[in-house]
Amino acid sequence: MNLNVKAKKQNTYDAIVVGTGISGGWAAKELTENGLNTLVLERGRDIKHIEDYPTALKDPWELPYADRLTEEEAKQYKKQMRTGYTVRQSTKHWWVKDTDQPYKEVKRFDWMRGYHVGGRSIMWGRQSYRLAPMDFEANLREGIAIDWPIRYDDIAEWYDYVEGFAGISGQPEGLPQLPDGNFLPPMELNCVEQKLKESIADNFDRTLTIGRVANLTQQHEGRGPCMYRNRCDRGCPYGGYFCSNSSTLPAASATGNMTLRPHSIVNSIIYEEDEGKATGVRIIDAETLETEEFYADVIFLNASTMNSTMIMLNSKSDRFPNGLGNDSGELGCNVMDHHLGVGASGDIDGFEDRYYWGRRPNGFYIPRYRNLNENNREYIRGFGYQGSASREAWQRGVRELAVGMELKELLREPGSWTIGMGGFGEMLPNHDNKVYLSETETDKWGQPILVFDVEFSDNTYRMREDMKNDAAEMLEAAGAKNVEMFDDPGGPGLGIHEMGTARMGRDPQTSVLNKWNQVHSVKNVFVTDGSCMTSAACQNPSLTYMALTARAANYAADQLKKGNL
Amino acid sequence: MDRSNKIDRREAIKRTALLIGGAVFAPNALGVLQGCTAQPGVNWEPVLFTDEQARLTSALADVIIPKDEYPSASEAGVPAFIESMINDIYTDEQQAEFLEGLDAFADKSRLELGGEYYESAEEDRYEFTYNENQNSLDINRGQDAPFFLRFKELTILGYFTSEVGATEVLRYEPVPGMYNGCMPFEEVGKTWAT
Repeated sequence: MNLNVKAKKQNTYDAIVVGTGISGGWAAKELTENGLNTLVLERGRDIKHIEDYPTALKDPWELPYADRLTEEEAKQYKKQMRTGYTVRQSTKHWWVKDTDQPYKEVKRFDWMRGYHVGGRSIMWGRQSYRLAPMDFEANLREGIAIDWPIRYDDIAEWYDYVEGFAGISGQPEGLPQLPDGNFLPPMELNCVEQKLKESIADNFDRTLTIGRVANLTQQHEGRGPCMYRNRCDRGCPYGGYFCSNSSTLPAASATGNMTLRPHSIVNSIIYEEDEGKATGVRIIDAETLETEEFYADVIFLNASTMNSTMIMLNSKSDRFPNGLGNDSGELGCNVMDHHLGVGASGDIDGFEDRYYWGRRPNGFYIPRYRNLNENNREYIRGFGYQGSASREAWQRGVRELAVGMELKELLREPGSWTIGMGGFGEMLPNHDNKVYLSETETDKWGQPILVFDVEFSDNTYRMREDMKNDAAEMLEAAGAKNVEMFDDPGGPGLGIHEMGTARMGRDPQTSVLNKWNQVHSVKNVFVTDGSCMTSAACQNPSLTYMALTARAANYAADQLKKGNL
Repeated sequence: MDRSNKIDRREAIKRTALLIGGAVFAPNALGVLQGCTAQPGVNWEPVLFTDEQARLTSALADVIIPKDEYPSASEAGVPAFIESMINDIYTDEQQAEFLEGLDAFADKSRLELGGEYYESAEEDRYEFTYNENQNSLDINRGQDAPFFLRFKELTILGYFTSEVGATEVLRYEPVPGMYNGCMPFEEVGKTWAT
């Protein structure tokens, strides 16, 4: 009895954060900075900033097999390799082995995961855009799904706040559909991108701007600046971009209030019906396979969209037979991503004497321009483009007519300027796009595996026609030659922006979370990763997760102090 | 509208050849070279190739990238790199196809050159290889890349991601430190290795 009380006390904290990625890092920082003794749980191994980036300083010739996986290695990463670019010799340690982390697909779903301290904040694309007022209003305006319980004004100051700490470089443009932020100086466009910018402004009245990116164009908060190596996804020894390991977790650690526990797979949330709230979490130690319980007044779920949802679905009780907080039946539903892999590319003449210095880890962005003030296309919502221009290098040698001295000489000079862009389109929430627990299959820790049943809609495919044709049209108007369109959506998930499975809303009957990201029916559980999203917009979403997390964490700390949780 | 009308044949060839590569980044065969026993005409110890295949690989890689003021492909360790890629990266099926292609190349060169490729006169080897390259580009229309283009790709990949290829033949800056998006080419001087 005494022992149990003591053990319970040892395992008791003010707050628990589940997950250490983009949003978990922010929850840890904000809660600890509010003086809360916080346990941060991570299912994977610990990754210390700089010292645990084993490939960060490797030169090309130091990476075996031209940085590609061997056939044997590739067998372990079959689904993770569906992106075609993320899993390499220099990055393979950041991605889960599908052989260890299985999931089921009723329909193809590309679920890209990184299980370690920092999560996907180490490998993310770093593009950082605000959602706009119209994005928070679109569902209501069009009668799609449910209304967001918040508006842009509720989150604007939190965007300012997280941008200020993270460090987002970008160019203010004054566009209502893509609000400006609290920016570090922008990176440069190259000459050919500048030409396209001028052409699409003149010919289409559209904006092209340098990507707004969490790479530091000057030293910031003791980090960076970016060295233009473009090896971000190996981890940056210069702290040149925002990730949990370089930024939020060190800030949380500096408070003295954080206990970080790696190798802790959260099995479920412990719900006490008498108290009407959660009292803690049950974990499986990934190494010892022992289960253990930890207790806290407030719990933040930041395990990534699908894993936070999995934990809630797996937290069954008499009160919540279908998963914690799932009175609405919406938990696991409304899976969204951004659809991509569609656009165009071409060659631009006239800059043969121009070249560039440095490997800019960023491209250009064309903010949404369709369906802004009225819906006048054959689909609703819209898309933005990301793209870049560069000169062809030695890789073009394969298809040159030359061999021998002639080839060797030729490749010492760069080839044509090529420019390309790919769209990122909004996917609508749909109750039938869902993820659920397998009733028959478990992983090697005995956890039920997830089953995906998600598909793109007609709205998506109609939008993609514009995404393809508009890109080609803009390139041709800028004088591009050999313009070629591409269109391969892959599976949902390929955008690596999965969201929506525990959506926010005003009504507990139709949503899982309230306007503060609290579970409607379990007020001391907050969910602030991508699962909270009520609609997807078309902007890269991580910055919004940061802002929502900071907002919710400060609200939670305030409510705790007031004795309301 | 049908945009393909705007594309001439040479451009069509250019594009379909792109299907071979996929992402192209770094290797080097230095590790493979260490502690190996070389065979005549072969500067590494083959684990997959027969002696004849190894000799052909070395000779062909050196015709594609010969020695000038900078080392040849074989001096940069490319043949060993090619073998390691075939052995470890290619699937069994791709590997079998490649080896078949290599042998077919040997047969054809024997017919046309009247002897082993690697023993033929330099000019004859060059001419034969030049023609093979041209023929391969002609037949590569979005189908599986012909053997020769796969070989050429691996040669180029191995060479320009080797230390000498990247840092001496081309320009390489591990830590550029800044970005300038529009500067005179002369100030860089060579193609960026990466």
